[in-house]
Amino acid sequence: MRSVLKYVVFFNLILIFSLFAQGELVIKGQVTDENGEPLPAANILVKGTEYGTITDDDGAYILSIPSPKGEIVVEAYYIGYQTGRQTVSQTTGTVTVNFVLKLDAVQGDEIVVTGTSIATSRKQLGNAVATVDVTEIRESGARSLDQALSGKIPGAFVQQNSGNPAGGISVRLRGTGTVLGSADPLYIVDGVIVNNDSPVLLLLGGYAQNRLVDINPEDIERIEVVKGAAAAALYGSRANNGVVQIFTKRGRQGRPRITYSSRLMFNSLRKKFPVNMYPYKMQGDSLVPVQRYDWQDWIFDTGMGNEQYLSVAGGTPTTSYFASGSYFSNEGIIKNSSFKRASARIRVDQVLNSWANLTVSGNYIYSWSHEIPNGGLASNYGALTGFIFGPNTIDIRPDPVTGKYPKPILANPLEVIDKFDFNQRINRFIGSAKLILTPFQGWSFDYTLGIDTYDQDATAFIPIGTTAPGLANGFSRHAKYDVLQLNNDVNLRYQTRIANAVESSTLIGGTLQYERRQSLAAEAKDLSPVVEIVPGGATQAIGESRSERVIYGFFAQQTFGFRNRLFATIAGRLDASSVFGEKERWQFYPKASFSYVLSEENFWKNSAAGNYVPFLKLRASLGESGGLTAIGPYDRFTKYVPVSYDNKSGLIPSTQLGAEDIRPERQRELELGVDLGFWQNRVGVEFTYYDQNTTDLLLFRTIAPSTGFTRKLQNVGTLKNKGIELLIRAIPVDNPKVRWTTYLTYARNRNEVNGIEEGILRFSSGWGLVAAANGYPLPVLYGTKYERNADGSIKLDADGLPIRAAERGIIGDPNPDWTGSWVNEFRIMKNWSLRMQLDAVWGQDVLNFTRRLGSLFVFGTSKDYEKELRGELPKGYTRRVFGIFEHWVEDGSFVKLRELSLSYTWYPKFASVKSVRFSLIGRNLFSWDNYSGYDPEVNVGGQRTVVRGFDFVEVPIPRTVQFGITLNL
Amino acid sequence: MVKHSNVQHEHLEGLTMNLSKNFRYISTFLAVLLLVLFSSCSLDVTDPNSASEESVLNTPEGITALAVGIQQNYAMNVFHRQVFATAVTAREMAVNNTFANLVELELGGQDLSGDNESLIGWWSNAYKVIGMAEDLIENTPNVKMDPGTKSGIIALAKLIKAMTLGGLATGWEKLPVTTQTDGKAPFKTREEALQTAIQLLEEAKSEIAATPPSSEFNSKILNQGLDLANTINAYLARFRLFVGDYSGAIQAAQSVDLSVASMFVYDDLNQNPFWNNTHVTTNYAPRDFFGVTYPDADTTDARLTFFMSPADAQSNPHGYPIENWNSPFYASATASVPVYVPGEMHLIMAEAYLNQGNITEAINHINAVRTKQPQDDPLGIGANLAPYSGAATADAVKEEIFRQRAAELFGQGLRLEDSRRLGQPGPDPNDPDKRSRNFYPYPSNERQNNPNTPPDPAI
Repeated sequence: MRSVLKYVVFFNLILIFSLFAQGELVIKGQVTDENGEPLPAANILVKGTEYGTITDDDGAYILSIPSPKGEIVVEAYYIGYQTGRQTVSQTTGTVTVNFVLKLDAVQGDEIVVTGTSIATSRKQLGNAVATVDVTEIRESGARSLDQALSGKIPGAFVQQNSGNPAGGISVRLRGTGTVLGSADPLYIVDGVIVNNDSPVLLLLGGYAQNRLVDINPEDIERIEVVKGAAAAALYGSRANNGVVQIFTKRGRQGRPRITYSSRLMFNSLRKKFPVNMYPYKMQGDSLVPVQRYDWQDWIFDTGMGNEQYLSVAGGTPTTSYFASGSYFSNEGIIKNSSFKRASARIRVDQVLNSWANLTVSGNYIYSWSHEIPNGGLASNYGALTGFIFGPNTIDIRPDPVTGKYPKPILANPLEVIDKFDFNQRINRFIGSAKLILTPFQGWSFDYTLGIDTYDQDATAFIPIGTTAPGLANGFSRHAKYDVLQLNNDVNLRYQTRIANAVESSTLIGGTLQYERRQSLAAEAKDLSPVVEIVPGGATQAIGESRSERVIYGFFAQQTFGFRNRLFATIAGRLDASSVFGEKERWQFYPKASFSYVLSEENFWKNSAAGNYVPFLKLRASLGESGGLTAIGPYDRFTKYVPVSYDNKSGLIPSTQLGAEDIRPERQRELELGVDLGFWQNRVGVEFTYYDQNTTDLLLFRTIAPSTGFTRKLQNVGTLKNKGIELLIRAIPVDNPKVRWTTYLTYARNRNEVNGIEEGILRFSSGWGLVAAANGYPLPVLYGTKYERNADGSIKLDADGLPIRAAERGIIGDPNPDWTGSWVNEFRIMKNWSLRMQLDAVWGQDVLNFTRRLGSLFVFGTSKDYEKELRGELPKGYTRRVFGIFEHWVEDGSFVKLRELSLSYTWYPKFASVKSVRFSLIGRNLFSWDNYSGYDPEVNVGGQRTVVRGFDFVEVPIPRTVQFGITLNL
Repeated sequence: MVKHSNVQHEHLEGLTMNLSKNFRYISTFLAVLLLVLFSSCSLDVTDPNSASEESVLNTPEGITALAVGIQQNYAMNVFHRQVFATAVTAREMAVNNTFANLVELELGGQDLSGDNESLIGWWSNAYKVIGMAEDLIENTPNVKMDPGTKSGIIALAKLIKAMTLGGLATGWEKLPVTTQTDGKAPFKTREEALQTAIQLLEEAKSEIAATPPSSEFNSKILNQGLDLANTINAYLARFRLFVGDYSGAIQAAQSVDLSVASMFVYDDLNQNPFWNNTHVTTNYAPRDFFGVTYPDADTTDARLTFFMSPADAQSNPHGYPIENWNSPFYASATASVPVYVPGEMHLIMAEAYLNQGNITEAINHINAVRTKQPQDDPLGIGANLAPYSGAATADAVKEEIFRQRAAELFGQGLRLEDSRRLGQPGPDPNDPDKRSRNFYPYPSNERQNNPNTPPDPAI
């Protein structure tokens, strides 16, 4: 779509030049849908030429072309509708051509570029490409990119890891693709490869922000997602986890269009953790009365937020622009936690001359957050951490006289909220320049320069005299992390018709990518009173690291299309990176794909089947790609690290032997699919089967210490991801009063890792409770189990308590059996719209470490312990099962009412106001699950690839209600 | 998407003609662009965080830094592991923490496997140090340096490799004597390892005799507490005694200046790991009376209060009688630890003379230790006891040597070796007063990756 617009603007210009040359034909008309509603910004093209225009707000267009020599075909294209085609035989004068477009749930004519680098209609592709369009984002209350993606893409498992206002999200496309590296996809915004690191600058308990939080969903026009090697081979060594490409909004010719929107948000706790409120405690062997408190009443609060957004877009025939500014401020449900983001974006598209076009864009983001540590994985001073450790027999409110906070077992949660000062600030710029040249018929060349740079600055201050364990004398930390990413991409394309029935498009291109990361951190304990900075501390430590990475890529692709129904593509990418061993420097990734639109054949069209199934496409694709997220920038070297001894500078070799011959993890993927259209294409079905096989998986191997080293990174493992994806899109009702659109997505993935030395690898980042095990999905939950009888029942000892088995084992699988979503949208009387999204994640296990801790007698904050106090459980039960991790693995299956929104659009008849839209949006309103803790969705492991399904007092995802108003001028 | 037509429009062809000269500019621009881009970004990125092997082993700065690093690594990662592991096995110290690896270590016998972290940590760090020493020995001759600096570095590297090998030989029956990057290092007997250590020490000794270490070496490389010449002789005496070269042992011991202390220093950046394991984590506690049980123990031995302070305490989890720490070597993060104690030289000589049949001379040297006043010892270790009054029989004197070594060499990592060599009863994992093993099982990370790893000893 974006590419189409570009061409349109450019060829309008040609048109203007040519007007003086000879006689002309003027084509005009209107484009409407079947209900007579005008379709603004529809594309009008003269087939086989570059002549075209777009419709105005009333769906009207006018197009002048040089007098053709014969019949021409005029096409009207609008996303979500079947392309309209009309033949014009008149060669001069003025002709009126009106189009009534029919709805299209199949979207075979939709133009996508991701994975091909050439704007290609979907029906030509041999692989599935998932898209999310601006209207889908607008209808939902998405306040972040993950929310914009969730539920809309089959095979994308989007997880919000934390309910903190700055979130922390993980996206898995077709399962987890690596063990040691990041398994999140590659993100590209307007041709810029954007960084999505999750730097842990402060220990916030496990949670960390990831830098996608800087992208404002309001600026997004469109998202395209390709999910594996078969589709993404052209992205080479960065494609194993798939690619998410985002296109931002742009201006178009016409008067300035102004959009202002404002929202108010209310965030609240959806469900409390059930707390022991039994008014007795155990003292020796007897129960003594005690008062208990639910500290959650003091920790959680309704968080308010607001967002203001203003954009202006417009343009002349040669210049179009889009500018926006936004301010977003949101409070978390933990008191005192907040996230704010201010951003400004500008994009200018300039026609330089008849064959050159330049696009420049810049996006500046400043965000800052006030963090309250929570979650027990990475620190012990969090608010909720203090809550679960209890004991809740203490009133933790500060003493009204002395102001002192009573000391529970860990830090006093209220003191954490009131006194700790943890902040993060991010300065970010994302910019791009793109030059497009089209000097000859059929040829085009473009060059993109992308830059993404930010610095993240974090400070932490714990004053003197708090209850923070081990930090009673104060703590200060200041850490900085800065990133620079540059990418240079060149593409040369040639499209031609080599015979009457055969179209060819050829692409060659190259990319050069450079990345630099630097971090610096200083911290101190034992502070001087009042002073908050690091030099105020008696015990100081400092750390620094710097890294650079360079990637070269060259690619070529050839596509042949035969009679608009048979398409074949072969492609290859040659990659090199500074992180690969010298002997493995250059890597080649081939790809082949095939698409057959059977429904274009006359025998199909004329058959009975053609009546019921007007669209039928078969597709197959096979490709290879690489993964380098598991390779550190300097892992190929044996490193000698600096030490200072006796005031002398020294060096010692690391215990890790340099991986001289390290190469990227290599994925081979076969993808087979069928796209179907039923009922005049009002029902579209996409079904895909994929089989990914990753070899050369990077794992650490221990080596004999008598080598002088103890471990080495080696390409030794394998990983399989196999699954199916189903997308059904239907428009069951469409009349002037009501349009009902429904989407159903379903995906299941089966994952298996192999090649791990000794069969099992336990990750210290998840306290050894998560592991990779040969022949099992990645990761698995691992730990102590019940001793069982021969019939599988739990073996009890004489006291009726379960017995712990001698051997540890696999106790759970945090990977869902399947994920699915069901979205329903109703548009009523042009003014009202109602949208509902249900997300289901089924069959994943969650380790409820939160409940485990609260159940131990010394803490005693959970209902389990209450049951023991009440005598409903045998005495010593919670103490016994504390050591049996299997006991704490729960079914985390859920169905969530992810979204329910109602909006009313008013079209005032006066002056310049086009529309005013009022919306009421609820997110995460209800969850149907059997999970006993806060929320089966959150994960204390943050964005860590292998620490999944781990619940340890991470902040649950809030229930959010938003009121919004959007004004279009 | 825009399709290109086979129906060409005439005006477009004209436009195309005009543009053809532009194409030359474009292609030139492109070629230059690509050239600039790809030449500005090399695939050979250097690591600013750490030094590469090439730069370390081929430059004087790198060799110098590695020679500092090897001392740090031995002092921080090898020495205390050897001391604590063997001390627990020989009942010199008790485990006073419930970490599984420590509990297993103390249980000994079949409960101690090659998976034990205490053993893996010692073995792995030892071979890292040996690898560093070999790099220094091999590469120092090839760089341009002051000859006295070179000789100092080579001697230091040989000393540390010898110390490390000799240390490993106190715990394992067989061991590789050189590192091998292919992971197939052959195992030699502990006698061969000790002979290798002796040879290294003899070479080190002649190296510094031929070219005395430069002042650059002494001030910029050698840690300020370490006395190179005396330490080489002391360890030479120790290892010669172990392999039965008694006259060689006497000769080397006599060359050691007993008024000099040789120490590993610690500082805030390199906090004393002995202190850390005894005062911070309280992993280990001293057994009552140095862990040596005999009825006529002389409780006036001044070394008792030097190393420990009396406490009526029992270790956790095994309930062995323990005292509190008082050793000045373990007292703080920055306390120095002796590389050997001078009193060991007398006891080496005593044992060597005894084995040569000279009981009188043996008793003389025992008495030198028994009657030593704390102020006469550079480390302040002095028993201040009456001269030996026991039987002048070989067996009795041998027992006395064991007892004196137990006290004088407390915490030196030699008790397991002494217990075996001097005929103490054992092993018996069930008797808290007898060593719980003779030799250790081989660490599992070696066994799983090196096909030459021998079978584990029975006990």
